[in-house]
Amino acid sequence: MSSDVRFTDFKSDKQPTWCPGCGDFGTMNGMMKALANTGNDPDNTFVVAGIGCSGKIGTYMHSYALHGVHGRALPVGTGVKMARPDIEVMVAGGDGDGYSIGAGHFVHAVRRNVDMTYVVMDNRIYGLTKGQASPTSRSDFETSTTPEGPKQPPVNPLALAMASGASFIAQSFSSDAMRHAEIIEQAIEHDGFGFVNVFSPCVTFNDVDTYDYFRDSLVDLQEDEDHDPNDYEAAKKVILDSDKEYQGVMYQNENSVPYHEQHGVTEDMSEIPDGAPEDAMDLVREFY
Amino acid sequence: MAEDLNWAVGGEAGDGIDSTGKIFAQALSRAGRHVFTSKDFASRIRGGYTAYKIRTSVEQVQSVVDRLDILVALTQRTIDENLDELHEGSAIIYDGERSWEAEIPDEMTAVDVPLKTLAEEAGGAIMRNIVALGAACEITGFDVEYLDEALEKRFGGKGSKIVENNKAAARAGQEYVQENYDLDHLGYNIDTTDNDYVLLNGNEAIGMGAIAAGCRFYAGYPITPATSIMEYLTERIEDYGGHVVQAEDELSAINMSLGAARAGARSMTATSGAGIDLMTETFGLVATSETPLVIADVQRSGPSTGMPTKQEQGDLDMALYAGHGEVPRFVVAPTSITECFWKTVEAFNLAEKYQTPVFLVSDLAMSVTEQTFPPEVFDMDDVEIDRGKLVDEDEVDEWLDAQGHFRAHAVTEDGVSPRAIPGTTDAAHMSTGLEHDELGRRTEEEDERVHQVDKRYRKVETARNEEEWDYREFGNPDADNLVISWGSNEGALIEALDYLEADGIDVRVISVPYIFPRPDLTEEIEAADETIVVECNATGQFADVIEHDVLTRVKRINKYTGVRFKADELADDITDKLSEEVPA
Repeated sequence: MSSDVRFTDFKSDKQPTWCPGCGDFGTMNGMMKALANTGNDPDNTFVVAGIGCSGKIGTYMHSYALHGVHGRALPVGTGVKMARPDIEVMVAGGDGDGYSIGAGHFVHAVRRNVDMTYVVMDNRIYGLTKGQASPTSRSDFETSTTPEGPKQPPVNPLALAMASGASFIAQSFSSDAMRHAEIIEQAIEHDGFGFVNVFSPCVTFNDVDTYDYFRDSLVDLQEDEDHDPNDYEAAKKVILDSDKEYQGVMYQNENSVPYHEQHGVTEDMSEIPDGAPEDAMDLVREFY
Repeated sequence: MAEDLNWAVGGEAGDGIDSTGKIFAQALSRAGRHVFTSKDFASRIRGGYTAYKIRTSVEQVQSVVDRLDILVALTQRTIDENLDELHEGSAIIYDGERSWEAEIPDEMTAVDVPLKTLAEEAGGAIMRNIVALGAACEITGFDVEYLDEALEKRFGGKGSKIVENNKAAARAGQEYVQENYDLDHLGYNIDTTDNDYVLLNGNEAIGMGAIAAGCRFYAGYPITPATSIMEYLTERIEDYGGHVVQAEDELSAINMSLGAARAGARSMTATSGAGIDLMTETFGLVATSETPLVIADVQRSGPSTGMPTKQEQGDLDMALYAGHGEVPRFVVAPTSITECFWKTVEAFNLAEKYQTPVFLVSDLAMSVTEQTFPPEVFDMDDVEIDRGKLVDEDEVDEWLDAQGHFRAHAVTEDGVSPRAIPGTTDAAHMSTGLEHDELGRRTEEEDERVHQVDKRYRKVETARNEEEWDYREFGNPDADNLVISWGSNEGALIEALDYLEADGIDVRVISVPYIFPRPDLTEEIEAADETIVVECNATGQFADVIEHDVLTRVKRINKYTGVRFKADELADDITDKLSEEVPA
């Protein structure tokens, strides 16, 4: 690949089977733009996805990619990055994938602070299984499995990330193309785990969390001159604010030290000699 | 077997039983004696009976037997638990100053040593076990200087003061027995040799094999009895450019390992039965995405939580059949501690050559047993690494389709496709658990589906033909009686042959390290009058596959008490089984 990579180089020739108008188109375009803008190309990029509408993203993008099992994309991305610190790793998932079946992995991936980017396409519903409640569905949101609403509060993924010790927390809206791509770009450039929750509306099954709803309600933190993402207390205030929906970088720890630096995991692990390591007999001598 | 000495230390968990045993085993190994250890332990941190047993000889030893010569008993229960194995010539070392009064059978020799008092005099009560080791040296005529070497190895890192105190404690025990007892009539006088042996257990051998084979990444979740593989690698793999992650669960462990493998690292995870259950969904993904991965299962008693600290070989069916749908895999099962090393090396080669997961199936008995070997059996010059069809930048062109896409799942004659790792120019591609075409893209097209399923299974056929799926053989190859075994029973079977021979029973033993693919034993079974399959499970899982392969009924010896086979016990079982009617 030449150095002048265009974002379309990250596009595969498979036509997406997402519903017309799906928020995931915009989410993916932003990911591709951000990858190209940060100097990556398909041959040095690894995209991991799980199951669900979000999981299809690896098919529509062109890069090294793995489409895994439901909820386990983050551990796969972690393994890729540890083996190959030189590779740009981007993990994509949905709200079910990330905050329900994969919630445990989310907490631990955040606290490990592996240098990768995690993009969650949050549509607040299970789309591919045709409209059941998700962990981010509103408590009164009526679905086929919750006819009277889930009657339990939604997960606040940003707060969950913060409680787990996240070093980068952001939120974007897939339809706000420029801002969305910018935010993903910042996540990629962050030294550590860059977490972006993306409002990515489901036009087929969710008639509450719609494009119009987000367009009308979103507050962009960029326009709030008082908001300093390095200020933990300010970030906490925004993240725990249940009255408003925000987009932008909520929190970024300037002193973030990514996993590979903390643990000295910097070698390319893919290269090994033809036989045992030269000093392997030391391993045997140890048992004398 | 006259040279044998069977020694044990027992007490409550937390009494330092394990380290006491290990120190004595190392001292014996330093003295050029072979050692075979076994452990009785319960699933708790403190309290509960625990014991460390050593069988030692100048000859190689590879089994436990029903006999105890010297017992260091820190509790009455230690004596009670081992009554069956104690005999008239047994000596029992105990501390008569402790609050319990030891009940020692009349015909045995009670050696009352004030362990705690002598330890305190030497610098601390904690060394009472070392006092007992000194006493054991005196009873057995074993030079205490070998014990000094083991103490230096054990405590050298803690400073010379600690080492000297421990040596003093050992001598205090030795001298106390010398001055207060005349035990020559017991006749223990253990010989030493000039040999230098290494002493290690099966899990250490697996960890060492992994590093030798170029494993760079390991992710695991702590579980008995697999954890010591992770502990071994954690301390050493970084010196060889690798890294270990303690994952949040087994689901994460196998997925991290998969990620690292996909990125080009030789990668491994290890767990025990229950953990394999959790890994099974991803196991299918590993196979379908054709990712090379080694998954070790150190079996313990199941099902469910079963008996976590007890022996069993109950996961063979799972290794063979785990996963929904049909998934090609290799199942390799080491039969000894040296084989734990060599089969691990082989597992990495198989995984990469055939781009598929390999189950490395071991068991608890092997994982906790320490055994001595001449170091040459682990000769690293014999380690060969074969990465299979890993393509570099120059070879990518051969595997591009007309549109320039890399055919990561190309349908080939041998079933093995080219493998390009991230960073390889122009080879970017998708891998997925969905059925896919040659490019790795989802398909539900009938022909593509059949091509890919056939391709994945064809590599098993290729491997069947290209690799050696042989077995190990012991006893008389022309005997009419055939005994077949897998896993850690091999050692006990080899020693059982001596007992059987003494009784005039002629036996051929076949020990099988490959479960899938496995050697065809039709000829061997047809040549025998009687065939018995020996395994540590209730239903005879290996006997089932043998019957399926050969279409002949076999006799079965199954032990599922949670305790490994003993050589003498196994000899009796085989004798009894031979006289039974052949099942209909």
